[in-house]
Amino acid sequence: MTDIVVPDSQVTPELQYRIEQFLYYESRLLDDRQFRLWYDMLDDNLRYTMPIRQNRLRREQHLEYDGAAEAQFFDETKKSIDMRIRRLETGFAWAEDPPSRTRHLVTNVTIFHVCKENIQLSAYFHVYRSRLERQIEHFVGQRIDCLKITGDSYSLLAREIRLDQSTLMTNSLSFFF
Amino acid sequence: MTEPFIESEMLGTTHWTSAAICDLVDENKGSIDPRIYTDEQLYQLELERIFGRAWLCVAHEAQIPNAGDFFSTYMGEDPVLVVRQVDMSVKVLLNQCLHRGMKLCRADLGNAKVFNCSYHGWSYGINGDLIRVPREEEGYKNKLIKSDWGAIEVAAVELYHGLIFATWDRQAPKLKSYLGDAAYYLDTFLSRHDGGTEIIGGVTKWVIKANWKFAAEQFASDMYHAPLSHLSATLAAMPPGTSVSKAEWKGTGYHVRTHQGGHGTGFFSAPTEAAQIENIQILFGWMGEDASKYYYTEAAENLRQRRGDAPLGINGAHMTIFPNLSFLPAIQTLRVWQPRGPNEIEVWAVTLVDKAAPQAAKEQWRLGNIRTFSAGGVFEQDDGENWVMIQDVLRGYRARKTALNTSMGQGFSKPHEDYPGIVGDVFSEEAARGLYSHWAKMLTTDKWATLYD
Repeated sequence: MTDIVVPDSQVTPELQYRIEQFLYYESRLLDDRQFRLWYDMLDDNLRYTMPIRQNRLRREQHLEYDGAAEAQFFDETKKSIDMRIRRLETGFAWAEDPPSRTRHLVTNVTIFHVCKENIQLSAYFHVYRSRLERQIEHFVGQRIDCLKITGDSYSLLAREIRLDQSTLMTNSLSFFF
Repeated sequence: MTEPFIESEMLGTTHWTSAAICDLVDENKGSIDPRIYTDEQLYQLELERIFGRAWLCVAHEAQIPNAGDFFSTYMGEDPVLVVRQVDMSVKVLLNQCLHRGMKLCRADLGNAKVFNCSYHGWSYGINGDLIRVPREEEGYKNKLIKSDWGAIEVAAVELYHGLIFATWDRQAPKLKSYLGDAAYYLDTFLSRHDGGTEIIGGVTKWVIKANWKFAAEQFASDMYHAPLSHLSATLAAMPPGTSVSKAEWKGTGYHVRTHQGGHGTGFFSAPTEAAQIENIQILFGWMGEDASKYYYTEAAENLRQRRGDAPLGINGAHMTIFPNLSFLPAIQTLRVWQPRGPNEIEVWAVTLVDKAAPQAAKEQWRLGNIRTFSAGGVFEQDDGENWVMIQDVLRGYRARKTALNTSMGQGFSKPHEDYPGIVGDVFSEEAARGLYSHWAKMLTTDKWATLYD
């Protein structure tokens, strides 16, 4: 969890632009509630996680995040994401009916590893959520993504969501990051 | 003669009388007054009379395996440190420096040799003794009697199948008496296998802007909400294209109000092999094959051999140990509803599994809990939605004046030959009535003997 993100020297302005456009498109689909189109951007071998973070003394900082086999807010595969989307599609998913208004702002996109098959990047996010009459929530953090290169596009192979909250300030994580 | 207002240590005298509090919960009519969820003075009385006296679950032993390990939690709104001692016993200390009241330790968990207050530097041993005070000579002229100023300790700590409970009240009965009929059902969760339990990873915490009793009551008493509140999740866990009629909750089950203490549970108990297979399939769908198989065969058999349970026993269940410890056997989520004022709770949830369970089953429970009963879980999301909306509605004057119906199954529960407590049909509110009646008793009675009449 302590990896230092350094830009890869192979990153051209063109690649940077293409990756950013990919991430913006993904955000727009989520905010437009086009979950099935977003689902199509996920790789069949997706691992999508959001570890919990605990308040640890500085000398125990290496234990701040729970590990991959421990407590997470999300630990999803493409199949479980499908289950979550199917839930939204039932017409009985009360926590999203009426649906939330979300806006996924993505910034600080840093590509730190490029190879023939994959691109790894870090991006900061600010997810704004407005729900029903006056429920407002903000979620800020970092996403560590691994994209698989698929011809002239990409699929999302791995996403680790590092949320900058310890106690989660919402009653329902009923949307995607 | 008019009845006196309640004397409260914290409030002086509140505007509530005992009679007025008892009137909020009408067992005979089957109704409750929604001010129990909103009134600030009632909430302060709860902190004093309920959270200040009841046995509260503060940790699982596995969270503090080694000497010096601490886990930081709350008893009501009081921060406490649960600390493993050098002799491996457990102490529970008020997380407050006795000099100016600063929080002694601000980490959620870890290992410590001393607790050093960050304000003026008073240091406490892991046993709570005040061991070092800066400028003891120049400032205090060596007159400070440090042994008088150790960290405040709870009145009693008891372990129960791996869970650590504590109470502030020296008069509190032993934990086993406090649990009463509930122990049998708690054992089904904590001692389904005699190899003990462990928890997977850290505590998942999130906020729900609703009164703690909505959550406590639902887990004590409410199988009724599940078919509708959780219809989307039930459908999504089934094969794509499953019709709504197939997602109906079937099976025979029981609902239990403990004779005393305000605890409650409900569960399905398959009377036939066919019904049992259906139950296994539900757990299979939500958690996975290994978890389901282990739970219904090896673990169930282990319990049966030790306790002689009915062959098809207790399956999926919901339960609350009064006031704020809830869990779902089979799903394996365990949580404490930490009160944060009358209008908010923090959920502190862990996944608890038998140590003896196969690794594959443990992993299925870990993933299954993330996806069903946690902040992002497809079941839990809809619970929060309901409670938050009720709390919002109760901002209204008319809404707060409107009595709410708690009459389901009234008069249809009675003692049962297999199951302890007052037992009725799985769809009932007997346990809710028990919980609220006990709540009113605790607020208005200061003697445990009277509470357990």
